[in-house]
Formats: sequence, structure tokens, C-alpha cells
Amino acid sequence: MKISRNWLQDYVDLTGLSDEQISEAITFLGFEVEGIESTGAPQLENVVVGEILSRDQHPNADRLSICSVAVGEANGDTKRIVCGAQNYQAGDRVPVALIGAVLPGDFKIKPSKIRGEASEGMMCSGKELQIGEDHSGLMILTDRPEIGTPINDALPDGDIVFDIEITPNRPDCQSHLGVARELAAWFRRELTYPNVNHAAAEDTRPDLLRDLRVDHAEDCLLYTGSVIAGVKVGPSPSWMQERLSAVGVRPINNLVDVGNYVMLEYGQPMHAFDAKKLAGPSIIVRRANEGEKLTTLDEKERDLTTDMLVIADAEKSVVVAGIMGGENSGVDESTTDLVLEVAVFRRFSVRATSRALGLSSDSSYRFERGIDAHAVPEATSRAIALILETAGGTLCGPTLRVGSDVPWEREVTVNPSWVRSRLGFDVANEDQRSALEALDLLIVREKEGEAGVEWTVRIPSWRNDLDRPIDLVEEVLRVHGTAKIPETTVTGPGLLANDDPVAEYNRRAGSYLIGQNFNECVTYSLRSGAEIATWSGEAAVAPLALDNPFVEDQSHLRSTMISGLLDTLKLNQSRGNAVSHLFETGRVFIPQKDVVVECAAVGFVIATDSTAAWKEREASDFYTTKRLIETLATQAGVDLSRQPHLPDESPASSGWQEGQHTLQGDMRYGWKARFGMLDLAGLKSRGIEGKVLAGVFAILPERLKSGGKRKRFQPFSLQPAALRDVALIVPQSATAGDVLKDLSKVARDVTPKSFALEDVNLFDVYEGKGLPAGTKSLAFSLKFRAADRTLKDEEVNKTFTALLEKISAKDGYEIRQ
Amino acid sequence: MQDSLAALVDRAKSELPDISSRPDFESLKASLVGPKGELTGLMKQMGTVAKEDRPAMGKLINETKTTLQALLDESLARIEAAELASQLGSAVDPTLPSPDPIAGTRHPLTLVREELNAILKKVGFTVVEGPEVETEYYCFDALNTPATHPARDPQDTFYFPEKANFSNVAKKVENEKYLLRTHTSSVQIRTMLKGEPPIRIVSPGRVYRRDTVDATHSANFHQLEGLYVDKNVTVKDLKALLDYILKSLLGSDTKVRFRPHYFGYTEPSFEVDLSAKHLPKVNKEWVEIMGCGMVDPAVFDDVGYDSSVWSGYAFGMGIERIAMMMYGIDDIRYFYQNDLRFLRQFA
Repeated sequence: MKISRNWLQDYVDLTGLSDEQISEAITFLGFEVEGIESTGAPQLENVVVGEILSRDQHPNADRLSICSVAVGEANGDTKRIVCGAQNYQAGDRVPVALIGAVLPGDFKIKPSKIRGEASEGMMCSGKELQIGEDHSGLMILTDRPEIGTPINDALPDGDIVFDIEITPNRPDCQSHLGVARELAAWFRRELTYPNVNHAAAEDTRPDLLRDLRVDHAEDCLLYTGSVIAGVKVGPSPSWMQERLSAVGVRPINNLVDVGNYVMLEYGQPMHAFDAKKLAGPSIIVRRANEGEKLTTLDEKERDLTTDMLVIADAEKSVVVAGIMGGENSGVDESTTDLVLEVAVFRRFSVRATSRALGLSSDSSYRFERGIDAHAVPEATSRAIALILETAGGTLCGPTLRVGSDVPWEREVTVNPSWVRSRLGFDVANEDQRSALEALDLLIVREKEGEAGVEWTVRIPSWRNDLDRPIDLVEEVLRVHGTAKIPETTVTGPGLLANDDPVAEYNRRAGSYLIGQNFNECVTYSLRSGAEIATWSGEAAVAPLALDNPFVEDQSHLRSTMISGLLDTLKLNQSRGNAVSHLFETGRVFIPQKDVVVECAAVGFVIATDSTAAWKEREASDFYTTKRLIETLATQAGVDLSRQPHLPDESPASSGWQEGQHTLQGDMRYGWKARFGMLDLAGLKSRGIEGKVLAGVFAILPERLKSGGKRKRFQPFSLQPAALRDVALIVPQSATAGDVLKDLSKVARDVTPKSFALEDVNLFDVYEGKGLPAGTKSLAFSLKFRAADRTLKDEEVNKTFTALLEKISAKDGYEIRQ
Repeated sequence: MQDSLAALVDRAKSELPDISSRPDFESLKASLVGPKGELTGLMKQMGTVAKEDRPAMGKLINETKTTLQALLDESLARIEAAELASQLGSAVDPTLPSPDPIAGTRHPLTLVREELNAILKKVGFTVVEGPEVETEYYCFDALNTPATHPARDPQDTFYFPEKANFSNVAKKVENEKYLLRTHTSSVQIRTMLKGEPPIRIVSPGRVYRRDTVDATHSANFHQLEGLYVDKNVTVKDLKALLDYILKSLLGSDTKVRFRPHYFGYTEPSFEVDLSAKHLPKVNKEWVEIMGCGMVDPAVFDDVGYDSSVWSGYAFGMGIERIAMMMYGIDDIRYFYQNDLRFLRQFA
């Protein structure tokens, strides 16, 4: 809200305070000052009052004149100035920018030649000096200040306007009076209320307004109508226009201006009808009829609905209640009799209608935040006084009124020592009292209680936000000054708690991947529906959809972070950055049969086509991603190799290359991983160069555990190991995992209790020459070891022979000799 | 015999220098000193030597054996040295760049978040996490946000359709709507509902607002909020904590001021400004950095804490905002584009 310093001065004497002091006061009272503007001329050097002595035609240009201008002895007496304006004559006094002046916009005045004629300065318009919008010609100084006077001394002082953000709990400060009240408290100065006295009412005019009817008292708590007849519409007085202009409200005519003025003064919106435009002498507050339309003052036709409150006459609606009047009933130049509406509408009703119509106004803004119903009579009187003063006319009869003025009485009991205990520092009783009373929070009763004196504080009607002792703590602190909070050190109990397992997991996973040369990324969580379909199938799209997306391509929650990482990959590739390893940790949202689960996840991509190096390195492949995912799973307490293989019930994901990736785990176990190569065609259509490997590990947050069990040392044998190798010929379709499992089981079975099979390691895979068609050879190294002795060849051989016999007896296994 | 021994040494001396491979060496060694070699053969002839000559001859044999062994050792050492030398390539050019990938980097938002976590951990705050999909209760109702507060409006907050079902995000109120959390205060509510005070937690995380993306706004961004609940927690304690945090983060000459403000879930509430002219791209004396306040008793009542016994403070800040200020970054979108030239600056 814009607040004028000149206007504030009516209610609180700010003499002797700088604009900065006032701004600081407003700031520390709890309202952010977003800007301070001056409506006057900026400080201008070398711009003085000059008198045009002569005006002659420029020899080379029809529209230019050559003037001789007196600028005062101190400034070099007379100057020859070429001028293009037409609105002046010899003898006029005007602002003259001398050589060396700098006008707003960093416009430097230098000696110049204009169409061949020398010019020693410039005569100025109002706009050029930034004191108005007038650019039609020179600014004629009609009050004829002394020649040579610096221009700032010759112009009236401007106003200072503070642009203040009013917090939603303080609707009372949507007004100059409200802000003045706060400043009066801060500077401990007197608050003066406006003069609301006006001429007494004459006879009522039932022909203009006979009655009011409110159909929906729940939405219209109070409605008043006052009649003023015989007004003369015209411009409002210049003092009122200046103030309205200063705070950004365009003056229109005296009636409209008074309404705006009192609204900006008291915070109470009001509306004036032309009484002659009303059909009949009745005003009805009702809901809009089905299909009813109203063209509002902004010249737009509004489609009203039956839950909207309107002000109507016998035939038609004339105002959208609390928001904006209709064109059909507003005051204009021909208005002579008016009805002044001052009312209180329910906040939520105004808000809902304003939202539905997409129409807000200074009036609706205030109603939505709540206004002080108890100020209605005073604001009404103030408006009547100003109308009579500026537009003449007579007040006709008493103000009609529907709705009760709910009596206001609120008291809060607070103990000053309790206030101190909340603040944590000493503010003496007298300082507390002084702070409260400065805000009109009067202590009406005092009582000695167990915990010292207890105050009963009366809350004024405009402070609807105060109803508990804690609210008064804030008031004391505000006025006492938050700058006075003393410095101290942090204290607090040591609590037995650990960081959340999810946070710890993200740190572990991040550290690991960074150690593997990955760059951490942060990408957007909201993706397009098409992307969800790519990564998680069509069925996943609907369950992840937002109800009210803001932009089309950010309409769904991500089910994987791969798409965001690919965006990053592409951006870097297109900017010529050698990019290869990227990862992100964060939340993903995985659709299951009927539900969606929110998971903690880590995802990575590896572009295998980064810039060429002078020396070749082995490229990453599927098995690179396998090790990464295995490790990331282990860090989450999941052993990838120990999970039973469940049939894949996830929908097909076209984002991954068929036959080059795998899906492990299942949300039924609380985790899931997918890794391998991304679909080459998909990458190509995204505009990404080269092959990309990727992996995602997702786990339910609740499945991650903090710390886990403390590890126990496991003793191990210091005896030498015995190694035996075996190559098995198996069908090509057999998986290494199954073969390994079978072989390990057989090996364990045949190993006697006196020593142990320590490890089975697959070290070679071979297909082709020398093997029967449709088969492959897998070679394993088996490691045996005893806890207490060196193994003898014979005993190991015996076990190994038994193993060979047993495994070759199994279907599909043959020993490769 | 004497001559034979001398000839044997001569043969070793002449043949060994030409040997360059280990198999050749082994076969020559066998022919010289092996069980079937010449030396062994000569030793077997000791029986034919006259008894009185035997000691002298024995001595000579031993000397020969020693000489041969020394020659063999020398030769083997030469072969081994040559073998090792053959494993090396040409000398390195230490100025050639390594073809291996450059070290990985942490994202600046993670760096700032973890630095704040660490600063807070020193004074006893531990990290809590919560879902990004939230419900109206945790995000608004429990935080004393009126039903008509603009923050709840679908213009400002992302909602999910009524049929949406997030099975691991528990609802508190039947039929309440799912939404994307607009702040991480919801995690504080979940924590308070789960346990008893005292509580000292920090909840960093991703939040969502329905905003136009520009230099300072992003569809999702990150917050870090803290909550302390105990007996006799005061405004002075809150100021002390924020002084501590901001001085730890930005240097001990950072000045902090409180301006009264309004938030639904704290009373009194403050906005926090800091004076940090030493930071890059800060050209104002005071810069708004975060919000805070004393937990409103209504919030305690709602989670079942006795507000006449417990008091506390809460604070919250935008991680992007802090990072932008710390590093002098002027556009929030850099954080989400992840240009490597950006990422590598902060590692």
C-alpha cells in the first residue's frame, strides 16, 4: 500500500523526522518498506529560473526559435538558446538548464549547434525535469519566481510516498490512519483523528431512498445508505487530487474522489450511486439471479452466478457487492442526488466472488482482509462531511441501516513477568505498559496475582488480530523494538537422535558416486505425461497427474530421475561440454497396481560418447552399471544377489534398450532397481549423441534404517587356500547366475565338514569354436580352505572329483576337458 | 681333472654372457651345475683321484662351484633386470593430460544444505525427512493456516485429483486432498505428532509452488526449516541461534536483525535481515534472508503438546536463496540446468 507522508501529517506530527527515520520505524513495526518515492522535482544542479527576453525565428528551421534568456548575473546574465517549443512568449519565466546541468535520464547539457545556430543551454518542460507528465511545451512558471533562482527553490516541495507491504493480520493498516496510529506509537506522539462534523441532516427524501433490504445477512453484516441531494459534480479540490495522485489513485470527480479518499484514510470501502439511476427507492442486497449479467465500471460484462452477492434496485443489480459498481448506476457529471453505501461484507463471500470473476479492486482487497465494522459510522460521517464540503448539497434524513453493529468488547489478561519469560530478557513493567498504551491497548484493570501483577488489557475494535496473551508479547516487543533483543549464546539439551536414514543414505550414495567421478545434478520433479509413459508405461500416467498443473510439460510427478538427467546431458552436449557421468538423489513416485508410493532414490547416467582422449580407456558397459547399483543397494542395506527373482510385473518401459538392461527387486520388497543401456532410438529422438548407460535404485523411505546393527568381527583362516578350476559346457540360454548357484550348491554338498568352500568365482565365458552349437562354456575357480591346517592335495582332489561327477550328472551340464 | 674344472669355468664365462632368456639360462645352468651337469660328473670322478690329492682336489671343486655360482647369479641378475626393463614403455611425458574422468562434484545446493545441517548439528539439531506429497492437514491445517489463506489456493499450490492414492503418505483427516508441500514445516508436524518434546530438528527438502519460472522463481525449490521445542524457550534464544547460524555460514562480521512480521504458525514472528556487504552482488545494506518466530500455542495444542508447559521456535529459509547470496549467483535456473561449467565451480 502506498502511504503519503503529507497525508500522515494530518494524523500524527512527523515534524523533525527524516524520511529514513520514518521508513525505519515502519520497518521495525513490522511492515516492509518496498520503496520510497518523491513526487517533487529531483535535486537539479545548474537549472535556474530564466526569463525569455526575446524570441526570433531560426533562420534554417521553421519550427525552431532563437531566444535570448536572462538567467541572472551569477549565471552569466543572458544566454542564447535555440528552442523547439511553441507555448511561450517573450516575458515568460521558465526553468533553464545551463551548460553543465544533468537532467533526469543522465541527459547532460553541453554547448551545441542546432541547425547551424549556437545554443547555450535548454529551456525545459515539466517532463524533462521529472515533475509531471506534461511534455506539450515549456513549463511556464506562472508565479514568476526571481530570475536566477535555483529551480528546486522555486518549485513546491513534493510529497514522499512509502510503498509498504501490509501483512495479512493487519487489515487496520490498509489505511493512512492505521499507519499513522502505528507511527504515533513508535515515536510516542499524539494521534489526531479527522474532523467528521458536518451540517445536520434536513428532511428525508423517501423518493430517493425509502428502504434497504438485506436478504443474506450472513454475507452482508451491515449495510448503510445515506442520501445527499443537490450536489454539484466537478473536480475535487487540488489538495485531495494531489494526495490521491501521490498514492497512485487517479482523481475522477469530487464524489468518486471522496469515496477513495475516505477508503484510503479509514480503510473502509464505500460506493456512491446516482439516486436517479436506481429503479425505485429501494436497495436490495441479494444473490445474483440465474444468468444475470452486469457491466462493471471497468466496462466489462460480468456473468454472475447465484452464489454471488449483489446490490440491486427493484429491477437490476447495480453493484457486485464489495467489489465493483456497475456502469448502470455510478455517479457522473450529471449526478445531482446520490446514495452513499457504506457496508460490511463477509470476507470469504467477497473473496470467492472476486476469485470467480477474476476481478479484484481496492475495495475487495480490503473486504477480503477484514475491516473494522465499528468504524462504519465514523467513516460515513467523514465521507458526508467531505462531500458536502467539496460538492455541496444537503444531507437528507438519517442514515438508513440494516444489520446490527455487533458490540465490541474484548479484554486480554496478561502478566508482565510472563511477557518477560517469553522474551527471555528484561523489559520493565513500565516499558511494557508504555508500549501497550502507545498502541491504544489500555490497561483497564490491575490485580496482584501469585506471579506478580496481572493486567487486563482492552483491545480496540480495529485490532481483531489480538486475543491471547502471546499476541500481546508481540505488541510489546514491536513497540519496545526488536533491535533491543540482547545477544547470547546457543544453549540446548543434547538429544539422543540421529539424522534421518534417508538423509544418511543420500550422503553415502552421493559420496560413492562422486568418488566414481559422477557430477551431482538437481533436476525438476515435474515432468510431462508423455515422459511418464516412456519410462513407466501408459498406466502410470494418470496416477501421477497433478490436478492443476501450471505448464503443460510439468504436469506429472516423476517416476524416475533419468529423464531429468538426460535433459542435463543434452544441455551439456549442446553447449560443447565434455559430459559423461551424472547423478541425482531425491524422491521419485512409483505407481503400483492401485496406488503410488513415494520413494527415496538415486539415479545416474553415463554417456559413453564424450570427447576423444589421446589415450583410449576401456568403455563402461552394462556391468559397470551393475556394480554401481549393487553398491548403491548395499548402502541401503539391500543385497542384490540375495533377492529372489520375481516375475516382472512392471509395465514395459520403452526408455530402456531391450535385452540390454535389467529390472531387479520389487516394491513388494520395498525396493526396485533398473539398470543397463537406454533405448538408442529414444536417445536419438531426444537429440542425445551416443550410447547412454543408466541406473536407478528406488527404496521406500521407511525401509531405510538408521545406523543398523553394530558390525561384529568375523575370524578368518590364516591357512593357505587350495584352488581348483572347472569349465562347464551349458546351453546358451542358461544364465551364469543359475549355473553359479547350481555349482555352488553341489560344491558345498561334497565338501566335507573338515574344511570349507570359501568362494566360487566365474572367470571366463566362452562361446564358439570347439563347442557344440547352442552351448557356451563358463569357467569357475573354486577356493577351498581349512580353518586349522594346510589342505592336502589328496583331500581336495577327492572333493573336486566328487564335485565333477555330481555336476556332470545334472541335466544340461558337461565338463569341458 | 684340474684342467676339466678350469675348462668348465671358461665355458661358463664364454657362454653365459650370450644368454638372454630364462629357459636358455636354466638349460645352461643344468648343463653346468645340474644333477646331470658337468660339475656333478667331475665330482663323481673323485673316486679315481689319489687319496693324498683328494683334499686339494675337493677344495678346487668347491672353489669352482663357488665361481660358477657367482657367474650364474650375475647372469641371472642381468636377465632379470632385462626382463623388468622390457615391461616398461618409453619415458612418460608428465605434461600429457590424464585421459581418466575428472573428479566428481557435489551440487552447490547439496553443499549449502549439508553445511547448514552440519552447523545445526553442532548445536544439537538432527535431520528429519518427510514426504514431498503431503496432505492439507500437515501442510496447512496443523500450521494454523486459515481455510481462506491464499497459500492454499489452487492458484499457488499444486493439488492432486481426489482419486489420487499415495499409499505411504498417511492422511490425518478423511477425504483431505493430497498436494505437493509448499514448505517443509509439514515434516515438523509429523515429527511432533510422533514423539514428545524436547525436539530439536532440521528439515531440509524440496518444496513446490505454482509459480512462473524466472530468475528468482522455480517450480520446485529447496527449503531448510528448523524447530526447537522445550521448556522456557525464548525470543532471545531464537535470536541467538540465528546469529550463530548466519555467522557460521557467512562470517563472524555478519550482522543479523529481526523485523516483526506475520506467519500463521508463529507468534511473535520475524523476518530476518542480514547485513553482509562482503558478499558478492549484494548492494543493499540489509538483505532479507529468512523467516522465523516462536511456535504459536495453537500449533502445540493441535499436535497435543501442552502449550502452557512447552514453548519453542521455528525458522525456515530457502536453500537456493542462501546459495545465490553466498556464491553471487544471479539466476536460480542455473541450479537446475546443471551446466558442468557451473557445477565444477563449487566442488
